[in-house]
Amino acid sequence: MQRVSIDPITRLEGHGKIDIFLNDDGGVANAYVQVPELRGFERFCLGRPAEDMPNITDRICGVCPEAHHMASTKALDALFHVDPPPTAKVLRELFYSIFYATDHTTHFYALGGPDFVMGPDAPPLERNILGVVKKVGMEVAGAVLKMRRDGHHLIKMMGGRPVHPNWGLPGGVSRGITEEQREEIERLGLDAIEFGKFTIKLFSDLVLGNPVYVDLIKNEAYVHRTYNMGTVDENNHVNFYDGMIRVVGPDGKEHAKYHARDYMQYVAEHVEPWTYLKFPFLKKIGWKGFEDGVDSGIYKATPLSRLNAADGMATPLAQAEYERMYDVLGGKPVNHTLATHWARIIELLYAAEHWVELSRNPLVTGEEFRVLPTETPTEGVGSVEAPRGTLTHHYWTDERGILTKVNLIVGTTNNNAAINLSVRDAAKGLITKGKTITEGLLNTIEMAYRAYDPCMACATHTLPGQMPLEVVLRSPQGEVVGKLSRGF
Amino acid sequence: MKCLILGLGNPLLRDDSVGLRVVQELQRKLAPRPEVEISEDYWGGLRLMERMVGFDRVIVVDAMRSGGAPGTVRRLTPDSVPTQRSASAHDVNLPTALRLGRMAGAKLPPDERIVLVGVEAGDVETFSEELTAEVQTAIPQAVRLVLAELGAEPEETA
Repeated sequence: MQRVSIDPITRLEGHGKIDIFLNDDGGVANAYVQVPELRGFERFCLGRPAEDMPNITDRICGVCPEAHHMASTKALDALFHVDPPPTAKVLRELFYSIFYATDHTTHFYALGGPDFVMGPDAPPLERNILGVVKKVGMEVAGAVLKMRRDGHHLIKMMGGRPVHPNWGLPGGVSRGITEEQREEIERLGLDAIEFGKFTIKLFSDLVLGNPVYVDLIKNEAYVHRTYNMGTVDENNHVNFYDGMIRVVGPDGKEHAKYHARDYMQYVAEHVEPWTYLKFPFLKKIGWKGFEDGVDSGIYKATPLSRLNAADGMATPLAQAEYERMYDVLGGKPVNHTLATHWARIIELLYAAEHWVELSRNPLVTGEEFRVLPTETPTEGVGSVEAPRGTLTHHYWTDERGILTKVNLIVGTTNNNAAINLSVRDAAKGLITKGKTITEGLLNTIEMAYRAYDPCMACATHTLPGQMPLEVVLRSPQGEVVGKLSRGF
Repeated sequence: MKCLILGLGNPLLRDDSVGLRVVQELQRKLAPRPEVEISEDYWGGLRLMERMVGFDRVIVVDAMRSGGAPGTVRRLTPDSVPTQRSASAHDVNLPTALRLGRMAGAKLPPDERIVLVGVEAGDVETFSEELTAEVQTAIPQAVRLVLAELGAEPEETA
């Protein structure tokens, strides 16, 4: 058996890679995505006061600390049996919408977008945000940076610190906002809506206007008919901050709808010998190996999954784009992995619209933004939609609130099995006997993986920007017979 | 000349926190100067570039993995950086971020006024607030290197 190894992570650290095993006919037998796992997180947490968790867990991930902060804060609400006042809920959701719009902007323009805007065959030196700017125009650079600057400014203003907020408390938040601050949030939110519309137009013109890219999105190698998970509000619309977890099958039928605290009744974890990372699957369907379909318990929790798991978006512009996506891609659910990028910018637009809505909510400047907990802490689950998937924090404490057990299911972990499926099938579709393995080909395989925007082990913060690739072709005896690599 | 000294790292991830420890030590050693800001941050890429806006000179201290012996201290430039945070798979690398910022008209220091002090890490995979011994002992050397960089400023020596 031949072996093709793609190491997209870093030669500096040498962990995390994609191994593609070829069969004797030169086709793909299997593919495995291996990621590192950071050690000792639970041990680090045990014995500490649970209130420390929003400020510890937001440091386990270098990519979405705000999501951990929020899931952790919600877990503390449950742990201390306290319901935050309405103003606190509005403030938290507003903060979270701002974070989402900012985070999705970075992914689309810095990572996912360049593949489409420049094309998968473009040289790596052009297939980045600078290439996008060159192709689309200088105004993109300013617009992206403004969106990020505004987002980070407001996150700092509300959360108390840039990146790592010191804001969430059991029963509410540590500070509210003034009318003057509210006005600024609203004004910058209106700019964010314009930015969201601009991004959708850019995607429409450059990607949907190009039949080659539309064919790429629809390519069967990028289609996986798995279950989809996402959080929905009372109208079954996408919600990032709160609601019920809904799981919809590859046939579009609802499989489950449950409160986050009941997650262990619905999700179990499969273990494989070749990786430390677990593979969550739907308990009632069961683990059936790396296969898709209604009989396999593999699910996805991505921007596209959230849209598939919902009946619509709660804001008008995002809803219109939601409908257009399903029209173009042939109805619900959409199982095309690369459509995740489209779903991501629909979510970006929704986040911006919801940001403005919440900034106009009369409760937002209220002075009652915290209720003091009075009950004895026991056990609590908190969940939000992180940009990369449903994020669940589960804490157990003694009667003093000292942590005795911690369990987290992070966004990317939900998608672990699906990522492996996607990479394998993309490789199967593209690597066949006698075909020369080119860089464009490898990038096309890598695109399957990049669509998930995976957080490696949700803490491995140390990855290079332009992913280095190394492909090693091995004979069935394991000898290196060819090598292709690109630097970064 | 406005100068930023920025420590990068995760305070909970063992040797990854060394950049933060070095600037904390600098904070103790260096008398407050209006033209020098000492700060800590977490991210590389676009965010690191954005943090540099408005400064004439930047010294970044960070953990690195370059295959050397843990505790080795190196002076690096933006385009030769194997540090932990100047690049991210969820972001762009520092040279790309700097070019983007300049394209957008951001006031950034020129490349030759951006220095990265890298400390070779031993363990960045374990949650701990303790550094490994080799990296701990490298802190004074990294501090001296930053101080030397500051002293090399013509404005400082004048």
